[in-house]
Amino acid sequence: MIQIEHLAKQFSAPAAGRKGLSFKRTAPRIVHAVRDVNLHAPDGHITGLLGPNGAGKTTTLRMLAGLITPDAGRMAVDGIDVATDTRAALARMGLLSDARGLYPRLSARENIVYYGRLHGMNTEAANARAEALAQMFEMSALLDRRTDGFSQGERMKTALARALVHDPANIVLDEPTNGLDVLATRALRDSLRWLRSPAGGAKCIVFSTHIMQEVERLCDSVVVVAHGRTVATGSVPELLAQTGEQDFEEAFVKLAFPEEEVVA
Amino acid sequence: MSGLQTVAVIFRKEIVDALRDRRTLLTVLISSVLMGPLVLLAISALVASLEANAEQREIVVAGLDRAPSLQNYFERQSYTVRAAPSDYEALLHSARLTDAVVVVPPDFEPALQRGDAPIVEIVSDSANQRSQASSSRAARLLGGFSRERAMLNLAVRGVSPDVLEPVQLEERDLASTQTRATQITGMLPFFVLMAVLTGALNAALDTTAGERERGSLEPLLMNPTERWALVLGKWGAVAGVGMLIAVLSCFSFLPGQWLLRSDTLAAMFQYGPREALLFLVVLLPFAAAVSALLMAVAIRCKTFKEAQASTTVVMLAASLLPLINVFSLGQESAWYLWVPALAQNLLMTRVLKGDAFGFEQIAAPLLVCVLIATVSVWFVARHLRSAAVR
Repeated sequence: MIQIEHLAKQFSAPAAGRKGLSFKRTAPRIVHAVRDVNLHAPDGHITGLLGPNGAGKTTTLRMLAGLITPDAGRMAVDGIDVATDTRAALARMGLLSDARGLYPRLSARENIVYYGRLHGMNTEAANARAEALAQMFEMSALLDRRTDGFSQGERMKTALARALVHDPANIVLDEPTNGLDVLATRALRDSLRWLRSPAGGAKCIVFSTHIMQEVERLCDSVVVVAHGRTVATGSVPELLAQTGEQDFEEAFVKLAFPEEEVVA
Repeated sequence: MSGLQTVAVIFRKEIVDALRDRRTLLTVLISSVLMGPLVLLAISALVASLEANAEQREIVVAGLDRAPSLQNYFERQSYTVRAAPSDYEALLHSARLTDAVVVVPPDFEPALQRGDAPIVEIVSDSANQRSQASSSRAARLLGGFSRERAMLNLAVRGVSPDVLEPVQLEERDLASTQTRATQITGMLPFFVLMAVLTGALNAALDTTAGERERGSLEPLLMNPTERWALVLGKWGAVAGVGMLIAVLSCFSFLPGQWLLRSDTLAAMFQYGPREALLFLVVLLPFAAAVSALLMAVAIRCKTFKEAQASTTVVMLAASLLPLINVFSLGQESAWYLWVPALAQNLLMTRVLKGDAFGFEQIAAPLLVCVLIATVSVWFVARHLRSAAVR
């Protein structure tokens, strides 16, 4: 279970637009990346974090991972406060971030086992887990190859297996379908559905994306984020009903860009 | 899992990763394992050719037939006299002739008889190093000839030859054989220092800026590991690579010695296991400190390339600082020991000279290394999180 309440974060961006050769610095610009994000993701449930580019999804997930300290708000993973006990919270989460770089000189198995070891697993357990995950993502043949020449999809699967090596109760994925082809996307959806089911461990899954179809096909509930705020929460039918639209894309645009709607 | 276990896991992964990097491995092999023998081979070839030239009792004379008395003197000094080729100036200029040429003027003998002091030229080219060496030999030889003639003239007039030498000159050189050898082997410590630096460079950049460039630092920090454990593990691995190179290069001089072609050099270059160990005492802390420093510089850089540009400053400093010792021509000041790279260079030179160093001498550089390493590791740990997300 993941709970995020009234999360806010602002950055001071380096001032742009120096005039000519003047070395005088203009005052740094304040960027409100996240103003008020709220999210409640229960176990056995896939929660979609839907928002346009630059809405603050990645910043939110980075704060959840303890990489950025929020200015305000509260985040808890299975009741553990992220701000005060970051490491305990991280131990209960499998995070697939926007950056998913692998070590090219290590094999897929070594990449996965390394993270398992960092989570405190012993080598045998991490190895067994790597094999189980490889079977689930249909990448057993890749397991002992160096990741150097991997395709986008193969990299993605390895990164996902790496994030799930410690069998976390909470899974947070930042735009996991980026760069995946149709088949790989379908396989990923199947895997996530299985992880949600009681047989798969009834995981709490948070899934950030800007693609409507993903949300429609997969998510039990959706949190729509725009300009750093949570603007709507509910299941897909609920959001359709709320906006009075038939098409989810129209509903999303209405929710995320109310001002543009007025202009149109 | 305890913090130390985490350090061990990270250390192991980073070492495996670094040693699988062909670029690093090649640097290790070329800069350390092959360097010792190659440098020694080059030095010994140089010394051997100088020695061969020095032992050669040969003199090249142009216009030999005009100076029978000179030839007679040379031959009495057991020199072989060779007639100079006609185009000796061109040959000297292009360094194809390695002996200075003594040029006898046409009216040498008659002028000598008259007491007119004929002018004998010694022709060499100062850009032609070896002709220079033989030029001073020829000058000494001709000086001997002059002195002999002078003494004969005086003796004929009944004057004691001692009048000509009111003061007797004797030279005494205090330098030991090993000290003299460091004039030639003095560059070895510099090579070893650079080997350690270049070896650690790749690994240091790969675990910091490289990790950022690949986008693997952000996921790495999403593991529940302590940041200090992460940094210590990484630093340990980079320092390990640096130390490996230090060990390899220090011991590569041992077999390298067998390649010494010159007996004199072999006698002068005293480098045994004891010297190798003393080198390591100096180098290991340096490798650890410089690894941390390179990581600290590189963690601020987004790409490997940017980091390479930034670390040039470190590399430049490390290669220029030892020069202070070279320019001061053997005069050592106490503050030298507090300057990294310079201190290491100084102590290793001292080992090659056959002088030992005590704890007082190693204490200062050691302290500086500990300080650099601590500050750098702290700096990396502090910036790791912000580096991951930017």
